[in-house]
Amino acid sequence: MNADDFLAAVFDMKEPRKKVNLIAKVRMFRLLKPADNRPSHTRNRLGMINLAQRATPLTFEDAVHLLRRTTFHPTWAAASALVGKTPAEAVQALLNVVESPPEPPSWANTQPEFTDFAAAARLWPELQQWWIERAITLPSLRERLVLLWHNTFSTDYMTVYAGQWMVKQSQLIRAQAFDFKTLASTMVSNPAILQYLNGNQSIKGNPNENFAREWFELFTLGVGNYSEADVVEAARAFTGWRISGNDGVYNRGFADLGQKTILGQTGAWEWGDVVRITFEQDACARWVARKLFMAFVEFYPNAEAIQQIGDIVKQNAFDMKAVLRILLTSEHFYDASIRGALIKSPAELIIGLSSTLQATHVNRTYVIASMMRLTQEPFYPPTVEGWKGHHAWITSSTFPQRQRYAESFVDGRQTGSSSKLMDKTGKIFAPDVVAFIRQLPNNNDAKKVVENVAKLMLPVPTTQAQRDVLLEIMLAGAQVYEWDIDLPSAVQRVKFLLQAIVRMPEYQLM
Amino acid sequence: MNRRKFLRSAGATGLAVATLPTIIDSFTVKAFAGGDPRLQQLLESQDRVLVLIQMPGGNDGLNTIIPYTDPVYYNSRPTIGIPKSRALRLNDTLGWHPALAGMRNLFEEGSLAVVQGVTYPNPDRSHFRGSDIWLTATDADVFGSTGWVGRYLQTLAPNYPTVLPEHPLAVQIGTSTSLGLLGSSGPMGISFRDPDEFYRLVNAGGGIEEVPSGTQTDTPAGREAAFMRNIARSADVYATIVKQANDSAGSPSVTYPTTDIGAKLRVVSQLVAGGLTSRIFLISWTGNNFDTHADQTSSSDPTLGAHAALLGELSGAVSAFMEDMKNKGLAEKISGMTFSEFGRRVAENGSVGTDHGTAAPLFVFGKNVNGGLYGKNPNLTDLDDRGDLLMENDYRDIYASVLLQWFGASTTKAQDVLFTDHSANALPLFKTEAVSVKDYNSSAATIVSVGPNPATDHVVVRTRIDVNATASVTLSDLRGRELRSLALDSWSGVGTIDVQTLPSGTYLLTLKADRATTHTFVNISR
Repeated sequence: MNADDFLAAVFDMKEPRKKVNLIAKVRMFRLLKPADNRPSHTRNRLGMINLAQRATPLTFEDAVHLLRRTTFHPTWAAASALVGKTPAEAVQALLNVVESPPEPPSWANTQPEFTDFAAAARLWPELQQWWIERAITLPSLRERLVLLWHNTFSTDYMTVYAGQWMVKQSQLIRAQAFDFKTLASTMVSNPAILQYLNGNQSIKGNPNENFAREWFELFTLGVGNYSEADVVEAARAFTGWRISGNDGVYNRGFADLGQKTILGQTGAWEWGDVVRITFEQDACARWVARKLFMAFVEFYPNAEAIQQIGDIVKQNAFDMKAVLRILLTSEHFYDASIRGALIKSPAELIIGLSSTLQATHVNRTYVIASMMRLTQEPFYPPTVEGWKGHHAWITSSTFPQRQRYAESFVDGRQTGSSSKLMDKTGKIFAPDVVAFIRQLPNNNDAKKVVENVAKLMLPVPTTQAQRDVLLEIMLAGAQVYEWDIDLPSAVQRVKFLLQAIVRMPEYQLM
Repeated sequence: MNRRKFLRSAGATGLAVATLPTIIDSFTVKAFAGGDPRLQQLLESQDRVLVLIQMPGGNDGLNTIIPYTDPVYYNSRPTIGIPKSRALRLNDTLGWHPALAGMRNLFEEGSLAVVQGVTYPNPDRSHFRGSDIWLTATDADVFGSTGWVGRYLQTLAPNYPTVLPEHPLAVQIGTSTSLGLLGSSGPMGISFRDPDEFYRLVNAGGGIEEVPSGTQTDTPAGREAAFMRNIARSADVYATIVKQANDSAGSPSVTYPTTDIGAKLRVVSQLVAGGLTSRIFLISWTGNNFDTHADQTSSSDPTLGAHAALLGELSGAVSAFMEDMKNKGLAEKISGMTFSEFGRRVAENGSVGTDHGTAAPLFVFGKNVNGGLYGKNPNLTDLDDRGDLLMENDYRDIYASVLLQWFGASTTKAQDVLFTDHSANALPLFKTEAVSVKDYNSSAATIVSVGPNPATDHVVVRTRIDVNATASVTLSDLRGRELRSLALDSWSGVGTIDVQTLPSGTYLLTLKADRATTHTFVNISR
């Protein structure tokens, strides 16, 4: 129902005593209207988005937009390499990155330890380091999906306890990142998720509904596309799982093999049938479409766009490469209206800044601690819903925290303190900001430096007034013709420029 | 940019830091009361605080308030049922979980209300829908985007965040911002873990206004940037005020438990004691801690285990907090309320736990709370088709009590905030006499009635005064500015004050008869 129909329906009702309530409802309805998907060049008045493949070769801004959205690594070099390529060529290159899975931690296949807390807890930071090492060193679209899918099939190391199981889940996500159906189906037997959602404690005759509910609500369909009865029946079908060593083991002897009705289909269903029936639902394709759209395109999806992408997900049998190829080469993806429409997660902010400034050798423990302070501790989402993202990242505490992190990083210091940054080996280091500027063309033209840095680091075009202020900040009293990247004073001036940029609210956008 | 520079540039761009007409700080109160302790007390009681404690994950109501004479309870919960002998007696049929001794003491003192069976029609068993519904105060089928607290605070500060009140309207202790605090123009409060840390964060580096914002505001990026600028600005303005309050509070008068909730309530106590006039403080556990699908109790002793630890954490922290408030003479102005997105199923599951359910009890506490039990015992045989409890009280009826009785909002305003009129079903949870004339009467000048209150265009004041006295009534705003004055005919003792041109808000009405003075409050609401 659109707003006009809603209002008409409201005022046609014949209950005058409810008038005030209705006005309140109308007001509420207005508040609920999505604010951000207004008609644009690539969205018509019905809300349909233009998914036609864009043929125009990428500009620098297009290229860095693509990198910000699809990797943790928006660098000058990577964006420059994509300039002039068509979107199809660029996306093909991103999807074809040759990547062998990272070596798991040495203890990944050992027996989990449940009695000695210290022995179990020792693995947790190593688990985080293992993930960050990969994410910060390999510019890869797959790694963005690894975080997205862990934020879908959420688990935390404290509840799961066994670091081995967390690694196993992360490996599964990485391996099947582009095949959502296999990913979800295999997740049923994953020890981390079995433990986190009590799937290993759900028995015939007395099922535990935790996993079944989240399966529908958070993993595959979303609220409104299943009933409470489906949760109860699916919980019966998901019985029979236990964890043995580091594996989920299905024992039909403990499973409820009786007749059940799930999403309208009746039979003696077992867990595999629930998966099958779930993936037959159009709502499942729409749910995955929504996840992708919110992660890569816009945070406030409209129903029509989700329907369009859902159709594509369905046509391509949940093959994420096929779907992303269409989405990331579409006219809509490159439209000005979506530039800067997403708020960076701490991972995107922290890894992104270190990569942009060619400082990815920063100390891993510090990176993890900083993500934690910005409320995204790796492998520790707050609830099974994962991190809510977008506006939830920004509060009166975390926004200044983000500014302090970034301005201190530029200066080679730890957040808001005088302690120096360390690299991954424990040696003191600072990002080489002059080297960063030297890779830009025309780096002996102060105005060009400001222009290019802004183009790289800010997702929306800057105004002349903004560039003027940034130039003034960089020059710090000097004349524009005095700018010389080779002078020793350039270090401090570049820092002034970068710090002003990373403090801008726009730097938090992508 | 340092803070001073920021404030200068904020002024230059037309942003303002202003005072709300309906909120008064302690300095104003002292000045206005002019040494009259009764008036000061009356004014301070206007300055009421609500502490909201969220128990996320779905608190098991039946193991919180235990129906220990109901055999169905024990049949449904053979492993996790709290034995009658271990429950702390509440009445002949109900008992407290043994970890709730502190809550029980408040109940025995008459300053804690247990409201039974709270939920809403067609309860949702999803954590996220459930908590969203509670926080937005909407029907089960409405997806709201603003919180009930946020909407209430917006009625106090309609121009927030362009015009910021002197003190933050709401404070969430933690790093996230609850949906409950969102108004239609973003969060209506601020969040921080620790006042000193917050101050350092805001003041340790550069500001936000050094580079002007771009011209585009009607784009998604423009709106997101504006969203952040508003939050950053409120942080910048309030970090110092929060630190000042914290620094001037002195030490807590009690030892708080070293738990998450204990530490958070300790911060609340310091801020209130230090004179911060925020109306709402919100605290919560950080994860879905109450989601006890498995190992809710120890398998050998149902009074021990995860749920017992959580209830103990709540009870210990709330006890310490209320004791501290009492010692500091602040008990009059503090109330608290717990809530959780749902209760849990009557029958235990096979993993020493319980699955998502529906109705559950909640607690409202404070010196000005009408303690006691509200609502019937849960009926464990009349269940819905999922085996869950039926509704006894709609959660919005309790919100209505808070708005109408605790914050003195008009029925219209409460309805605006809650979208529907719940005033008829509001439970009498709060003592409203705290702001009545009774305690402050002087025998020579008695205000018999003031009405209508809230008023729209006129107020009739009926008094009892000495026939020979020279008497007058005046109406002042809460900054002490006298706005209306009327000589009273001492024979009838009745006067009518025209309030048509006064803005909505709370006003002080003063009756003077020779040297006797009596005060009361009048609300104007349209």
